[in-house]
Amino acid sequence: MKTFYKLATFVLTMTVLTASVFAQEPAPAVTVLANLTEGQGIITSSGGQSWDGLSELVLIPGAALMGAPSTTTVLSLGFTGGSEADIGNMVLYEVPRNGSTVIKVTKVELGGTQTPSIVLTSKTVCPVQPVSVTNPCIVKLDTIKSALSPLYDYYFAVYFTLDTNNEKISGVGQTASQGALSGWSLYGDQTRIGAKGALPTNEDSDQAPFFLAYITNE
Amino acid sequence: MKTIFKFAALTLMVLIVPVCGFSTTKPENLERGIVGPVGSNVGWSGYSVVEQIPGAGLIPVTSTTTVFYLGFTAGTEADISGMTLYTTARGSSTITAVTPVKLGGVTNPSIDLASTTVCPVAEISTFNPCIVRLDPTTITLSALNDYYLVVYFTASDSNNGTLGLTSPSWAQTSLRGSYITGNETGLAVGGAIPSSLNFNSQPYMLMYVMTD
Repeated sequence: MKTFYKLATFVLTMTVLTASVFAQEPAPAVTVLANLTEGQGIITSSGGQSWDGLSELVLIPGAALMGAPSTTTVLSLGFTGGSEADIGNMVLYEVPRNGSTVIKVTKVELGGTQTPSIVLTSKTVCPVQPVSVTNPCIVKLDTIKSALSPLYDYYFAVYFTLDTNNEKISGVGQTASQGALSGWSLYGDQTRIGAKGALPTNEDSDQAPFFLAYITNE
Repeated sequence: MKTIFKFAALTLMVLIVPVCGFSTTKPENLERGIVGPVGSNVGWSGYSVVEQIPGAGLIPVTSTTTVFYLGFTAGTEADISGMTLYTTARGSSTITAVTPVKLGGVTNPSIDLASTTVCPVAEISTFNPCIVRLDPTTITLSALNDYYLVVYFTASDSNNGTLGLTSPSWAQTSLRGSYITGNETGLAVGGAIPSSLNFNSQPYMLMYVMTD
């Protein structure tokens, strides 16, 4: 037994010494921006539709996640028109793959709130003015502090408040190069469904989303 | 001194155990699988379902194993006579390797779809498809090859007559599939994937191809 203890002490000492030597090298704590799934390609415009009082639901399928290492998730919305987007709420639903029963609901925020007003005429928000199809404004939402799993599907839901600003906004989506995402619009606030609730049926089939453009790890 | 030795031994064990016990990796997609709602196609007795896993659609995730997930929407039991994975060069139909695919250690399983152990949500349907995970196949998929998973459903079998397979509603997947009458799981190296098949459509049954 004494021999075992001595051997263990020796191994531990060597391990510590080795670790110390390698610890001299600066650790590369680099996180590379990566797509978690294929986002939308060519920017078009979902213009024409009045978004006041409407929700957009976007399926982010687990079966299309590309395995990029990540502990966080960032959703980016794209706008091609309008002066202000007034959002009533934003959430991310987790459901079984190819299912529609909600397992978990995660808050999605911008500037620390689920009800942001995005001023599209502000150069701070949208550096290239005016916002258009050729100068789309991409808005990164706050980082969600959890990773997406390929064993689940996710639905991003955003509700646009019933107001005149939202009558004039348009999104980057409905493109032919939609990537892995698909979305549809529904009347009313679809962001209040709780766990074990059922998501509404998608009657628009597999069309590209209107506003959700990219899903990245940072 | 004895105390130091004992402390060192304990510390070493504490360091080693997590390395041995928790070094598992989480499942990742090897291809873009089936997304969105699924429909159903019923009646598979005597048919081979041929699923194409194109090398061109592989996500660059390293794995020494490949796990196939099958989707069922109706029926009480699936009686399978054989499951095989064929390898071809990209774009070629000539088979360069044949790998058995198993469930529960056999290539001819009967899957009890009425069991809540197999399908937790009863009764299975298009709203509650039953996803069955096959045994891990020891193969590293290469972007230089195409792969064909063939599953033959036993002929003259009443269970397979009422069997429903998932039928994707949406086109956003890298997987393709087709089907043919007769048993196509016995092809050998040098043989060919049947030329009558085309892979223009999303696959029946095959839902996901993952690392685990």
